[in-house]
Amino acid sequence: MRGYLALLRGSITIGLVYRVGFLFTIFGNILYMAVAFFLWQSIYQNTSTIHGLTFNETFIYVALGSTIFVLLKTYADWQIAHEIEDGTISIYLTKPVDYQLYALCLSLGSTLTNLAAITVPVLLMMVLVFRVNFPLGPGLLLFPVSLFMAFLISYFFDYATGLTAFYTESIWGIGTTKDILVSILAGALVPLQFFPDAIQKVLLLLPFQAVYYTPLMMITRPNQDWGTLLGMLGIQAFWTGVLFVATRLFYNQAIKVLRVAGG
Amino acid sequence: MLSLREYFRLYFIIEAQYIKARMQYRVDFIISSIGMFFSSLATLGVFWVLFNSIPTLAGWTFMEMVFIYAFYMIAISPMQILFDQTWFLRYAVQQGTFLKYYFRPLNMMFYFMSERFDLKGLTQLALGIGLLIYASIQLGIAWSPLRLVLLFATLFGASLVLVSLAVSAGCSAFWITNSFPVLNLAWKLREFSPYPMNIFDGLFRFTFTFILPIGFIAFYPAQLFLRPDQVAPWVYLSPLVGILTFALTYWIWTKGVNGYSGTGS
Amino acid sequence: MSLIHIENLQKHFRILNRHPGLGGAMRDLFSNDFRSVRAVDGISFDIEPGEIVGYIGPNGAGKSTTIKMMTGILKPTAGKILVNGRPPYENRIRQAQIMGVVFGQRTQLWWDLPVIESFKILKEIYRVDEKTFDAHMSLFNDLVGLSALYSQQARTLSLGQRMLCDITASFLHNPQVVFLDEPTIGLDISIKAKIRSVIKELNQMRQTTIILTTHDLGDVEALCQRIIIIDKGKILYDGGIKKVNALFGAYRTLKLQIDNFGPTTLQTLQDGLAAKFGPENGVTVAETEDLWTDVTIDQARTPLADVLSFVMSSFPVADVRIVEISMEKVVRKVYDGALG
Repeated sequence: MRGYLALLRGSITIGLVYRVGFLFTIFGNILYMAVAFFLWQSIYQNTSTIHGLTFNETFIYVALGSTIFVLLKTYADWQIAHEIEDGTISIYLTKPVDYQLYALCLSLGSTLTNLAAITVPVLLMMVLVFRVNFPLGPGLLLFPVSLFMAFLISYFFDYATGLTAFYTESIWGIGTTKDILVSILAGALVPLQFFPDAIQKVLLLLPFQAVYYTPLMMITRPNQDWGTLLGMLGIQAFWTGVLFVATRLFYNQAIKVLRVAGG
Repeated sequence: MLSLREYFRLYFIIEAQYIKARMQYRVDFIISSIGMFFSSLATLGVFWVLFNSIPTLAGWTFMEMVFIYAFYMIAISPMQILFDQTWFLRYAVQQGTFLKYYFRPLNMMFYFMSERFDLKGLTQLALGIGLLIYASIQLGIAWSPLRLVLLFATLFGASLVLVSLAVSAGCSAFWITNSFPVLNLAWKLREFSPYPMNIFDGLFRFTFTFILPIGFIAFYPAQLFLRPDQVAPWVYLSPLVGILTFALTYWIWTKGVNGYSGTGS
Repeated sequence: MSLIHIENLQKHFRILNRHPGLGGAMRDLFSNDFRSVRAVDGISFDIEPGEIVGYIGPNGAGKSTTIKMMTGILKPTAGKILVNGRPPYENRIRQAQIMGVVFGQRTQLWWDLPVIESFKILKEIYRVDEKTFDAHMSLFNDLVGLSALYSQQARTLSLGQRMLCDITASFLHNPQVVFLDEPTIGLDISIKAKIRSVIKELNQMRQTTIILTTHDLGDVEALCQRIIIIDKGKILYDGGIKKVNALFGAYRTLKLQIDNFGPTTLQTLQDGLAAKFGPENGVTVAETEDLWTDVTIDQARTPLADVLSFVMSSFPVADVRIVEISMEKVVRKVYDGALG
């Protein structure tokens, strides 16, 4: 356990070295929000609600969606793929280290660094510059739990993507496809309510929405009843469990490639 | 000293060889092209979803947005395909391998950029062309020879604007160690260029028109074909914007190259 | 009219005086506190067509800086430099036409392409006509058996093969001068010999001027008629190889690993040598970082075999190596006036 904590600490320290990089990322995020602000203002020009969402609700959703996107961008998929490609992974296979847990610590460290260095300043700017009024409600209490599970699910996607490096060298293609699919199908760029009904129904059944849609709705509409809120958490927990098992199975399968081919 | 024609011939020879070598990696080409397919159409997908709920966006219909977006995809292809090596400038500069570009009797930017020809960008180009044709038909745009010339001129200028933006950002590697965030930011700006400029108010519209002129990558030139009678005369100068920004970029590159001395003593 | 003319050449760099810590880093952003480093501090020499010149010196001596000025990468701070009658930094593209450059480990071939394709591209770049190209390729094949490598990608070649290809490629367009930087580094003896013979052949056949920078004294011995030694930006020696050869030819270093090496061992060894061979024995003893003991012997004064048998009989020696004298030691000796 102590080993993992050390890894976590190390991962956070590495992140802090790139201070200038953080400034640019913060700036990029704010810029995106400004553009989104203009875009949605234009969309809501003539109506006050679309699909039951007000401009304020949609803007919170989209702005926070971009912030969470930046928060969860850990490049863990790339890192894992590189470790597989240059063989460093063999080091971990010979040690009493659970590779998935190790990669999770790296990812978590990255995310926590992002949280402190990027997300907090951005949230402050949202409140001070964009004058965003976050509605209050019990959902706000559950939001951190929801966000943590979103992180886990996002990590599982990254981990699975990284593992494909056992089979192919095309990490760019697979990683990019994963990024796009997760962000659009998860409702990161546009709330799922905007999708045509038939598509919406399908998307709500997929695990992607557990990464963005669920936590975002919790903060956009925090004053729903406890039943609904806990139900949303339940679905996230369900997907967390399923993906955990799935990725472990995938790993066991993939590692056989290494054992057979010799790395 | 090579003539322009000799440069074209040389480029063709180098890239023909490069592509031949890359085509050995067939699976990678297919997977990358698939990734490119999704990546190119992501923003268009978002627009499609939006237009399910609204009839027009800032006065533009969905098909007009498709046209602008297709124009955008074609305009960003030269950067993607021909100047992809920009992303690797920082490694060459930091490791000293950049010195090798000084020793041949070749223009250094040509030599550097010719080292990479991004095949997956062809997917984006093909999609862009296809969508442009589709949208023109749907919108009933009449293509006279003169209009086609205007199209090529504006596409040429528009592509130069993005090349200038990204290459300038890449040049920051000559002066700072962590140039990746600069490049990344410039790259992200590109994503806003298919958005209608009239959603922006004063400061932003000014910035995206005169300072970081992403408006000239797709939106302004597209207006020449979508709303020719409503367009202001200066929009016809958009190819010039590309040429000017590229001149500035080349100046930045030259400054970086002249000041570089490699590693070691 | 000499091919390379250098007169009182100076190159100074402004280095920022960095301060430690975060506060220091912030101050540095706005700082005007620079110090001037004189990488090249007033050197002069002329090189005639057809010469093979060894340009040697320790790390940080100013070698690379001089080469970078000769190849047009850097502009001098002061002084004159002419290559083929022109300042190299003024028209880089025109100068590149008459030069060949080989960098040591970094290849200038196209990585993913078969070797022959790299040569063909160079043919286009340098505008070599068909007949000349074929003649050169045939020559290279005779000299190093290049055709066996034609279809292999540069990335699949061994270091030695790549170096041979890089060197022959640098001669393809028949340049007037070729700069070779560490051409034999990391290679085994047989490939080194082959590379040295290729360079010598090409120089003799075409009168190509060769400027060789290297740490390998074997290269220098095999190829150079003239040596220029540079240290701390100044020229220490510029002359024939025979004098310097006497210097490093005679010296050998005995590297010893002594068991139970203690604080007094070095002194005991020194005293013992003085007692056995007399006071002016030309033998110096030093401890090195890698825990070996270096015994440097001037064979003109004391034979190596004698020193070796003395040491082995008097001390518990676990391991022995015999090496040629290093570049750094040569330069130090020159500095101390060994060449008079």
